[in-house]
Amino acid sequence: MTRTVEAGFIVAASLLAAIGVAITEFTLGNWLDAQVLVTLATFVAAFGGLHVAVRRWAPGGSPLILPIAAFLTAIGFIEIYRIDPELASLQRWALVVAATAGIVVLWLLRDRGVAVLRRYRYVILAVGVVFLLLPLLPNTWPIHGATVNGSRLWVRFSLPSFDRVLSFQPGEIAKVCIAIFLASYLAERAESMAVAERTLGRIRLPEPRSLGPILIAAGAAFAILIYQRDLGASLLLFGLFILMLYIATARPFYLAAGGVLAIVGGFVAANVFTHVGRRIEGWIDPFGHFADSGYQAVQGLFAMGSGSLTGSGIGLGRPDLIPAATTDFIFAAVAEELGLAGSIAVLTAFALFLAVGFGVAIRARDRFRKFLAAGLTVVVGLQAFIILAGVLRLMPITGITLPFMSYGGSSLLANVAIVALLVRVSHEERS
Amino acid sequence: MPVLFLNLIKLLFLALLFVFLWQVARSIRSHLGSNPSAKAQGTGAELVLISGSADGRRIRLSAQGHVIGRSPDAEVTIDDPYASEFHARVGIHDQRIMVHDLGSTNGTYVNGRRVSAPTTVSRGDTVQIGKTILEVR
Repeated sequence: MTRTVEAGFIVAASLLAAIGVAITEFTLGNWLDAQVLVTLATFVAAFGGLHVAVRRWAPGGSPLILPIAAFLTAIGFIEIYRIDPELASLQRWALVVAATAGIVVLWLLRDRGVAVLRRYRYVILAVGVVFLLLPLLPNTWPIHGATVNGSRLWVRFSLPSFDRVLSFQPGEIAKVCIAIFLASYLAERAESMAVAERTLGRIRLPEPRSLGPILIAAGAAFAILIYQRDLGASLLLFGLFILMLYIATARPFYLAAGGVLAIVGGFVAANVFTHVGRRIEGWIDPFGHFADSGYQAVQGLFAMGSGSLTGSGIGLGRPDLIPAATTDFIFAAVAEELGLAGSIAVLTAFALFLAVGFGVAIRARDRFRKFLAAGLTVVVGLQAFIILAGVLRLMPITGITLPFMSYGGSSLLANVAIVALLVRVSHEERS
Repeated sequence: MPVLFLNLIKLLFLALLFVFLWQVARSIRSHLGSNPSAKAQGTGAELVLISGSADGRRIRLSAQGHVIGRSPDAEVTIDDPYASEFHARVGIHDQRIMVHDLGSTNGTYVNGRRVSAPTTVSRGDTVQIGKTILEVR
């Protein structure tokens, strides 16, 4: 019954993507194009495949996670297609690959469920760390790191026989590995971390050694900032650590300590590293730095402002003027062409995703599954928050993808894997 | 191209987006409604030992209450050197699940916070006695 509802939503989301492509073609003066059918077929195949896999291997899972993911992917895809149809056809392939990966995740967990992840947690942690470090491989190696827009977070490997270069962002996979590791680690250690040993007036302080994990998190985040010059991944990893510690122990102390460390770290980084300093400068006074560090933020603001209440209509704005409009700034492109109404739809979809994800965590069977579901939901929510806050100028811009919506295969693959894991956790709650 | 027509398409598309989200939100509500923990508190609630000596043991809560402790004379005996002989009492009063620390040495923690007065807990909360953790289900 609930699975039928899911199938209906998936077909509806696929139709939305196809209608968006049709509207783009129409406003560009072309009549019905093969692209519309190819898009429809890709979405139905990708999410339909995931749906069938869920029916087979996680039939009790929440029927609402896949539809929300499909909805966000559809809106993102429409904007990507509208800005650059070439990229959109690559993104369609990425969607097929990501869905295949999600199906493989469900298949791997078919018998023993997510408990397997707990057993191999140190292997998973090692994979995560190796993936984080991969971009530092020297440029001369066949598989090597690459610096794009000043951040070293790409890995490329050449396929000479095909004359193509494959590139991916291993950090996207690493974040999933680290969330899994933290969930299993905290499921065992949280008790000792939650007990307050000393009191200072009315404030209960944890033991000094429970500060260790926070300092490790801060150190790792800083290392990423220095060696890969990637503000977004650094902030995401640190935030994930702090929020998972808070979820596991229910102690606001971790939030406060994390917040203070983030502010102090940010202040130091802004003064020491020029690439961070420029981001802050472009955030505080973008119009004063219109020609350089503020250009992207200002173009984003112009785009969102011109979108007004209902937007220019798909294909009728100029989102191509925003730097990185298909990746980091896709939200500004949506706000320009679909207006405030469309942006609220996107934000609502993310809010619903968080509601469903935390709902899975609340109803999960044991602490590991609770922390896993909560951690994976936090990854998606925090990443969306970091980049949306950057686009909306609540925070400095930190280059990071908007989950499900931005162009990018690694990001889509990691987020579909998260969806598969969440569905599996919610299936295990019922059986 | 007629502007009116383009505007119409735009508004229709936005309407479709919201219809989709509205349907999802409705399904979430009915999905949550079928979940037993959304039902009235105090009926059929139980405490489950989720860590410590007897993992998975269940205590069905009732109005007369149960005393949990290390002593063999406690109604629920836990093998935990950090627990007191008669550590805490759990029971149902006025449809609410109450935890009452019985002056234990190491204290009783609800969701990680030490409680000395009788405290209301709800489903999903954790109660820690010594090193043993119980969850209200």
